[in-house]
Amino acid sequence: MFVSLWGFLYSNYFRFWLKWILRLLTRKCELQRIFDGSKEGARRTLSVEHSLDSSKNKVLRNAVHVNKAEVEKCVRNVMKEKKIEQKNTGFKTNLHICLLQISGYKKLYLNVESLRKVPYDSDNEEHEEQLIELWNLLMPHENLKARITKQWCDIGFQGDDPKTDFRGMGMLGLVNLVYFSKHYTNEARQVLSHSNHPKLGYSYAIVGINLTEMAYSLLKNGALKSHLYNMVSGLPQMEHFHQFYCYLVSEFDKFWFEEEPESIMHFNQYREKFHEKIKGLLLDYDVILTLKDTKKP
Amino acid sequence: MGLLSILRKLKSTPDQEVRILLLGLDNAGKTTLLKQLASEDISHITPTQGFNIKSVQSQGFKLNVWDIGGQRKIRPYWRNYFENTDILIYVIDSADRKRFEETGQELAELLDEEKLSGVPVLIFANKQDLLTAAPASEIAEGLNLHTIRDRVWQIQSCSALSGEGVQIKDASPARLCSPEGKDDGEAKFSKGTAGSVASSPCSSSEGLVWGLVSSSACRGIFHPSRRFDGEVSSLALGER
Repeated sequence: MFVSLWGFLYSNYFRFWLKWILRLLTRKCELQRIFDGSKEGARRTLSVEHSLDSSKNKVLRNAVHVNKAEVEKCVRNVMKEKKIEQKNTGFKTNLHICLLQISGYKKLYLNVESLRKVPYDSDNEEHEEQLIELWNLLMPHENLKARITKQWCDIGFQGDDPKTDFRGMGMLGLVNLVYFSKHYTNEARQVLSHSNHPKLGYSYAIVGINLTEMAYSLLKNGALKSHLYNMVSGLPQMEHFHQFYCYLVSEFDKFWFEEEPESIMHFNQYREKFHEKIKGLLLDYDVILTLKDTKKP
Repeated sequence: MGLLSILRKLKSTPDQEVRILLLGLDNAGKTTLLKQLASEDISHITPTQGFNIKSVQSQGFKLNVWDIGGQRKIRPYWRNYFENTDILIYVIDSADRKRFEETGQELAELLDEEKLSGVPVLIFANKQDLLTAAPASEIAEGLNLHTIRDRVWQIQSCSALSGEGVQIKDASPARLCSPEGKDDGEAKFSKGTAGSVASSPCSSSEGLVWGLVSSSACRGIFHPSRRFDGEVSSLALGER
């Protein structure tokens, strides 16, 4: 009760007066103070995002939703609103980068979400091709004997037709799996061979789809911001999401064998533990979570 | 009443905690069903590695629902979850005709399990939202459900996706099962359900009604003391 009252008073009154006093003292607006006080990266961009989000000024509040093409214009408008000289190129560049990151993250989520919403369709040639590509990348020395075959279980699908395994993750699940196998082929094959461990084994593809869900939910709830703002000095792309997925798969594999669960039946318990671990890492403002020692994709 | 009423009969213990085991082949819809029961979002479901468990509070009962992955590779682990099961819910993908035989075999094996002997079984003919779904009656026939004599059983059409046929409702069997009382019950249920209620052979006084479902719940029940008359319920899309 007290906390929510304080929160209400702060965001509606105190914050304004505090900013006003600071502005008088430092002769700088909040955005300028952020740029001066932090170097490029998540800490700065998150502060800018918070500042813009909670602004009472419409131009500033809308800036977080700006289109890529309109970022420059938006920067000029913000500077006009805050009475900052247009020739202040330092401010301009900094704000430009931050806005690209902030609006880019939102756009990335929309792109990921729309791919997730495409269900796997076995009548769609493109979908089928990607599925076959996945097989060929992971099992280069073994041919698929048929489209519907028990062989799919060898790469960790549940039954003889993978199409039903993508479920709520749709094509996002498949594209993630293919990306990992294509760009980190050695790692993917290594993880696959680990997953065939007689005692600690798990279903590679199914676990992969579960990790797609984890990456997706971290993106959705904003937890991935710190990583992406540090990683990409501009617009984050689909590729960056896939790369984060690759990191998750590789790390989960290590985590699983370190933990030595009793059996695959305990998967969800360890998945949750792993999820907490990743969430913890993402709380660090300086975090960057990438797969190391690999050929550049 | 309904599921709850049968529970009250079965469980004379005061703790009122009920263990429900959800089994079925992979892609049958077990996790979707579980999430529907718990009123959770069902749009991000992924294949189950291992199991999920959720507790649902309803009418003084705490339903502990165990949803175990259905992939062939982990079916051998099913038996680890048999103990103390109060109700077995077996889920079937009604549109996956190619695997009816496989699902029938798994079910038959479950019914032979000593640890599950006498445990009431509720079979969900799921995915009735799909045009190609087989009706519950056809599945019941295919699975030879009428030969089950050692336990209470019932088959129920449903769509875990839309939630039809799976809500926990506290339907009163007295009103819903007697032909005279159908007017009272009709308004509560979607089209097509009331009709199947009217001719219900089940006598409400026995109270052996599954209520996870609704009115038509009483139709397929076999009670050891009564001859089974071969009818099955088809609730969700009664007019198909």
